[in-house]
Amino acid sequence: MTQLLLFNVFNGLIIGAFYALMALGLSLILNLSGVINFAHGGFMAIGGYLAYTLFSYLGFWGALIVSPFLVAIIGILIERVLIRRLYGRDPLYSLLLTFGLAFMIEDGTRFIWGAQSLPYQIPSWLAAPLSSEYFFLTGYRVFMMLLVAAAVLGLFVILNYTRLGLRIRAGTLDLETVSVLGVNVRVLRNLNFGLGIYLAGLAGVLAIGMLGLQPTIGDNLIMPSFIAIIVGGLGSLPGTLAGGLLIGVASGVTSVFFPSASEAVMYVMMAAVLIVRPRGLLGEEGRF
Amino acid sequence: MISRTASKKLDRRIIIKAAAAAGVAQLAAPFVLTARAADTVKIGLDNPLTGTFAALGKNELIGAQLAIEQINATGGILERKVELLVEDSTSGDTATAVQKALKLIDRDKVDFLIGNINSALAQAMANTSFQKGMFQIVPGGHTDTVTGTQCHWNVFRVCNTTRMETNSVSKLLLDSYGKKWYFITTDYAFGHSLQEGFEASLKQANGTEAGADFTPLGTTDFSANLIKAQSANPDAIILLLAGDDMINCLKQAVQFGLNKKFHIAGAQQELEVNEGLPPEALFGDWVFEWYWKQPGVAHVEEFVADIRKRSGGKVPTARTWFGHAAIWTCKLAAEKAKSLEAIKLAKAMQGLILPPEVALMPNNPYYRVGDNQLMPTLFVGQSQPAPQGGDPEDLFKVTQLVKGDEAALPVDQTGCKMEWPS
Repeated sequence: MTQLLLFNVFNGLIIGAFYALMALGLSLILNLSGVINFAHGGFMAIGGYLAYTLFSYLGFWGALIVSPFLVAIIGILIERVLIRRLYGRDPLYSLLLTFGLAFMIEDGTRFIWGAQSLPYQIPSWLAAPLSSEYFFLTGYRVFMMLLVAAAVLGLFVILNYTRLGLRIRAGTLDLETVSVLGVNVRVLRNLNFGLGIYLAGLAGVLAIGMLGLQPTIGDNLIMPSFIAIIVGGLGSLPGTLAGGLLIGVASGVTSVFFPSASEAVMYVMMAAVLIVRPRGLLGEEGRF
Repeated sequence: MISRTASKKLDRRIIIKAAAAAGVAQLAAPFVLTARAADTVKIGLDNPLTGTFAALGKNELIGAQLAIEQINATGGILERKVELLVEDSTSGDTATAVQKALKLIDRDKVDFLIGNINSALAQAMANTSFQKGMFQIVPGGHTDTVTGTQCHWNVFRVCNTTRMETNSVSKLLLDSYGKKWYFITTDYAFGHSLQEGFEASLKQANGTEAGADFTPLGTTDFSANLIKAQSANPDAIILLLAGDDMINCLKQAVQFGLNKKFHIAGAQQELEVNEGLPPEALFGDWVFEWYWKQPGVAHVEEFVADIRKRSGGKVPTARTWFGHAAIWTCKLAAEKAKSLEAIKLAKAMQGLILPPEVALMPNNPYYRVGDNQLMPTLFVGQSQPAPQGGDPEDLFKVTQLVKGDEAALPVDQTGCKMEWPS
């Protein structure tokens, strides 16, 4: 039983890292622009579908690199054309907009690529366990973990050691002052949105290596991402990361004892955090 | 031009409401309503067009649309043109499915009601149509209760019961792979009934249940369940999942290398699922409810060719056949009853045999008297990667044909107590 539990803790960390990747993108956009991006799962699906299409031309690695950038460009265009117009208004406006956008993306992908699941093949050397005892550590999962770690590290470097990151962090704290200091906040929000969507696109490409590629692929992953943000703490990127890992582990461990509650346990955790520590584990008091 | 208004107004409550709405969003869905004329025979199709079962729903719709064209080309029903009214039931929201069924019955005044793919939705619709006295055909909802404990005189079913599916394949699994099974089962009516069926077979053979995990519908990660299954060391891991859940689980099982350690099998498998799997995940013993490759069986080739024309070259699946057979059943019943009255239609359906151009399979499928269940042929076999140089959609190898009435429980054991209106 102990071994089984340990297996599931490790496995939960792997899945949690994936939730965290999705949630980090959501959190970036939420923190700077105050937009609850319901369409995040949709952008993730676009990432998967573009990778599927690019696969025939660029192969697995080419699709993995190019697809998230294309999704980010789509995100930047959508922010510029649609979302930007709603920044000054009640946040419910942007919430409704992205809500509708999510449906449009789902129907759009269904129209272009069909409703049926599409097969996506990863390199055979990735699609095998690394050892027979720790069989759940497959090459692909380890690769996914490394890529998520690289993405988190990359995000950390961008936010802490680049001018863009400095402005994003400053804007998250006080956008008006940043604007007064001469920063073009339109561009800043636009690039930040693109960065968040890039992470969604990357999550999409990674997801289709182990999940079926269909128009609703993002639907089932968007909720854990929201929960990761709430559990980790609104406004805190490290909190989001921790939230994702925590709910992944909680879900994995619950599967050992009560599999049908593996999803419900995430909501229970969210409720518990909201009751005991409403700002989330690492959220700043008074931030939201 | 900048504003912090948005961020200032954004509070935790909104985020939580948003998260709740994200869940509800999956229940919302558009509806499709085709134009209609007053003097036509109306068939209402209330089936998923969005969500988890959208691909299956689309294929049933394609089959239904072909049947409508064929029927109209041969004089319609009772010499009246037939039109199809299509509603999106969603994939999992019972209230929406029932609401759409009521709309079709009360507002659109349909003569026949067809639906649903989701077992729970099919049963809810059946209970509604029973109250309304509306003739209904369930094309693809498998849970046993529809023609079992909650059977109704007005409700007929094209697809198999889950017990028929498990009975058709369980002997093969027990004989070939051993008697210690671990179940990974989708946590709703369909999965539960399948597992009950297998458990009955296992008990009869003095087998052992090594464990069972019920997973929520829409589960993306099955690794925890697969880890448990591996530690239980069963002879076979039985996957009783559907749609995308099955795809996710099979892909992950292959990556874990479990297909090399255990036999992985199940009851129902669908071509839609196989087409979403990479070649290495195409393995295992399953039951198909209809298969497009049936050399020598009358009219199958024409049917395949007709569907290919309508679906961008893709072959029909069992779902396409369900939709096609369900619509044709409406015509056959009406022509036999010479009426569109539900009670007369239901009486005419008793023992009705599908003609070869509708049956599209061996063994003369018929609607059984006593539980209104179609007794078709089941196709038992193995999933396979497309043969080299063969059709890319030839992803299943049929090894055994099982007659429906040999796989089904006798009527008196189904729990169906049919009560006809006086």
